[in-house]
Amino acid sequence: MNIVVAIKHIPSIADDLPVSGKNVDFDSVDFVLNEWDEHSIEQAVLIKEAVGGTVTVVGVDLIGELDNVLHLALAKGADKVVKITADDPAADSHMQAKWLAEAIKGMGANMVFAGVQASNDLDGQIGPMIAAYLDMPYIGGVSSVEANGDSATVNKEFAGGAGAKYSVSMPFVAGVQAAPKPPRYAPVSKVRQMAQTATIETVSPSGDASAGLAFKNMAPPVATGHAEMIEGSSKEVAAKIVELLKSKGLA
Amino acid sequence: MLTPVEKIIFILAAIASVGFTFHGFKTIIDSIRKGRPAPELKNIPGSLLKAGIAVLFQQTIFKARKLLSAIHMGLFFGLITYAFVNLTDALEGLIPGFDLVYGGKHLPYENVPTGLINTFNLIADVMSGFLLIAITVFFVRRFITKDKALTFRDNVLLNPKVKAGGQNRDSLVVDVFVVMHVGARLMSQAFRLTEGADPFMPIASFLNGIFGASEVGVHVAWWISLGWVMFIIPYLSRSKHTHFFMSPVNLGLAKQNPRGQLDPAVPLKMIEGTRFDPGAKHVHDLAWTRVLDAYACVQCNRCQDVCPANFYQRPLSPSALEVNKRYLLKEATFGGHPEKLELPLTETVISPEAVWSCTTCYACVRVCPVGNEPMADIVDIRRRMLVDGYEIDSGVQNALQSLATNGNWMSKGKRLRGKWAKEMEFPVKDATAEPVDHLWFVGDTASFDERVIPITKMVARIFNAAGLDFGILYKEESNAGNDVRRVGEEGLFEQLVEQNMAAFGKSQFQRIVTTDPHSFNTLKNEYPQFGSEWEVKHYTVTLLRLIEEGKLTIKNKLSNYKVTFHDPCYLGRYNGGFTAPRKLLELCGVEFVEMPRNCENSFCCGAGGGQIWMGKVAPGERPAENRIKEALTTFGEGAGDKTQLFIVTCPKDMIMYSDAVKTTGNEGKIEVRDIVQLIAEAVGVEEPKVAEPVAA
Ligand code: SF4
Ligand code: SF4
Repeated sequence: MNIVVAIKHIPSIADDLPVSGKNVDFDSVDFVLNEWDEHSIEQAVLIKEAVGGTVTVVGVDLIGELDNVLHLALAKGADKVVKITADDPAADSHMQAKWLAEAIKGMGANMVFAGVQASNDLDGQIGPMIAAYLDMPYIGGVSSVEANGDSATVNKEFAGGAGAKYSVSMPFVAGVQAAPKPPRYAPVSKVRQMAQTATIETVSPSGDASAGLAFKNMAPPVATGHAEMIEGSSKEVAAKIVELLKSKGLA
Repeated sequence: MLTPVEKIIFILAAIASVGFTFHGFKTIIDSIRKGRPAPELKNIPGSLLKAGIAVLFQQTIFKARKLLSAIHMGLFFGLITYAFVNLTDALEGLIPGFDLVYGGKHLPYENVPTGLINTFNLIADVMSGFLLIAITVFFVRRFITKDKALTFRDNVLLNPKVKAGGQNRDSLVVDVFVVMHVGARLMSQAFRLTEGADPFMPIASFLNGIFGASEVGVHVAWWISLGWVMFIIPYLSRSKHTHFFMSPVNLGLAKQNPRGQLDPAVPLKMIEGTRFDPGAKHVHDLAWTRVLDAYACVQCNRCQDVCPANFYQRPLSPSALEVNKRYLLKEATFGGHPEKLELPLTETVISPEAVWSCTTCYACVRVCPVGNEPMADIVDIRRRMLVDGYEIDSGVQNALQSLATNGNWMSKGKRLRGKWAKEMEFPVKDATAEPVDHLWFVGDTASFDERVIPITKMVARIFNAAGLDFGILYKEESNAGNDVRRVGEEGLFEQLVEQNMAAFGKSQFQRIVTTDPHSFNTLKNEYPQFGSEWEVKHYTVTLLRLIEEGKLTIKNKLSNYKVTFHDPCYLGRYNGGFTAPRKLLELCGVEFVEMPRNCENSFCCGAGGGQIWMGKVAPGERPAENRIKEALTTFGEGAGDKTQLFIVTCPKDMIMYSDAVKTTGNEGKIEVRDIVQLIAEAVGVEEPKVAEPVAA
């Protein structure tokens, strides 16, 4: 089984997100692996553990720091890692999808996984666009994949807890919502060992990639009010609320 | 006394006994030697001697259970006496005419030391009585009143043989041995008293009064007495009573490095051609000194008594760990099932859930009379589980992942670490940018947790008021890694140490002060192994010094408070930081009462060793809740109009105990405060008045 996982490096929201001009100030944020991609890596490794095969993880290197993520993927069980050196932190999902598709094209993948979306743009475009470029079927919202021969049983989740089971013939692209098991922990010793020994294949971005959207403006949210805690016994609190409502002309 | 035939039988039996004993101990030593190299021990003869003295005076058992310990001491002295008694008894049997009754007047020698013999007879006689009483107490405790302390919780993993009562059988054999052996020995002496009572043998004389003297009786009693010895000695090597021999040795070979320094995940001393995986999967992955622990274990459950996880009804019992180790080794050696050693420790010795319940509070190691380290085994097992990809608790996993990427466990960006400092009314120096005297290592909880930040700010204000030249590392500080290491993530620990060492390298400072006992512990005890050479102080010590040097003046005596103090494990038990906080409280003028479990015997809040990261919270009374109740009981009813305070010196304690006050419904009765809040009040440092926010 040849499984390719397309991943995305995105700005971390652990920090306050600084804005510069029309976009995030990429120089002062850390980049992290998109959370849904952690699940697609886990799903790929689970399949490999069940039926054998290889897992290749490929991503666009936006700020020259993708190596860490790729070492982590190797420590979790990926066999091969590829980075597309773009050096453009603003490259959006349309551009990344094109580059990824070009890189994946020659890999002979039976299945391509991508996180169903990424928390930076939330547009869920990478998976479907790769599928279109590679001329493969796409299935999104996937919560588990089981490989059997040249087709796979895929569970897809709908809102409200409903689910459906599909049989999908290979090759196909799946947008992974969640792996059946929480993504495993890769001990740092293993990640560091990978960093010392593993080789990362490097390719240049190729294909005519154009951005899907143009930013007009970006601004941090402005605080428009604040909560006031009313303290005291329930009677006092009630009295204050009444007073407040009156003062605002609401009672 | 013995007939020639009897003598031959005796000598043959003695040879067999020695042979079985030798085989027993050789088997034990061989299995101990299969363990991994242990951290280097210095001056072994010296520490063995020290241990010998400690054992002679039974010092280490008195850390808990004072009364039973006193009885054990009697038993111990009795058995020591009996070693000599058995020797003279053997001589009585083998040497014709060798007879010590009546001060040795039947001895066929001249110039018999009558006084010495009488003294010996008296001691032997009285000790016999004492032995019988002591063993009866222990028998009653185990079999009649069935002391709960000798049993295990139902959810604790136990070797099937232990479940089936193996320990009780061992105890019964030894109880019966002591009764039969001592009883027979007394009788053998009683039967010898052909001329009536011997004033130096009161018990034997009393028995003689009842049974009279008898030549046949002497033979029968002698055989019962010494026959038992020849049986019991080899038996001991195969029973829990190996502790007679192994515990003094174990005590002599006990941990020598600081309590707060864990053994490395992979032995530092490499054996040629051996590649060690980190931590322990099988019993012989443990350092040999900890394989020895299993043989030294008295199976007394003192460690279980003090274990907060066991209190919290978790399936963890440190004593069960040692007992299971022992039974596993026994099955593999004497039992002829070496294949059992191939089973992972998590199936034979401790359940995975129990492994992840340990708070690494060190209480078990501290209380153990024979110097065992069950906690160290648990950390080693965690280490291997982590590299083997065991599915860990999701909360712990999130914490570790965040630590690996952000350097803190709270999924906060590095740049936010110094945010509190930037909000201060005075500048807080960046030690990476300008030289400072004190580098304040703030720690994660104190830097990020909204509930603790006001306290962090107060510490800064007091340092500032005292004119202390201090700075922090801002975004360059990473979690110190104390609990990361204790969770078993050695690689991440090393990464964090490297990051912090790099930050230290960039900065100029003379010493480190820290508000967090966990950081304090690893910075003080473990960082030196990675090249740190700075003095590290806990802020309680720094505060005390500032007051003693007159840099801070106590202006207000806080006699309106009645307080008690909780010793954090990593400050107190691990590093002996008992006095500074108590002195500070005294200086503040509060009414101070000590909880029953204090100092070395302090009870863990339940947060350490990664427990605070756990996603799942188990049901049942939590250790912190129990501690709050303990504090309230200590306060009693008589606080009058004083406010009752529970004083802490650890940011994690602030969170654990504030929660516990709420969950036990004791709000209004007791309040949790950091010691620095009292100091602030006493020296008159206040939060600056902020303008009330105007309603929008
Ligand atoms: S270190 Fe503390 S929690 Fe862990 S086993 Fe020992 S007593 Fe129990
Ligand atoms: S480990 Fe120590 S304290 Fe615990 S049961 Fe054994 S001897 Fe007693």
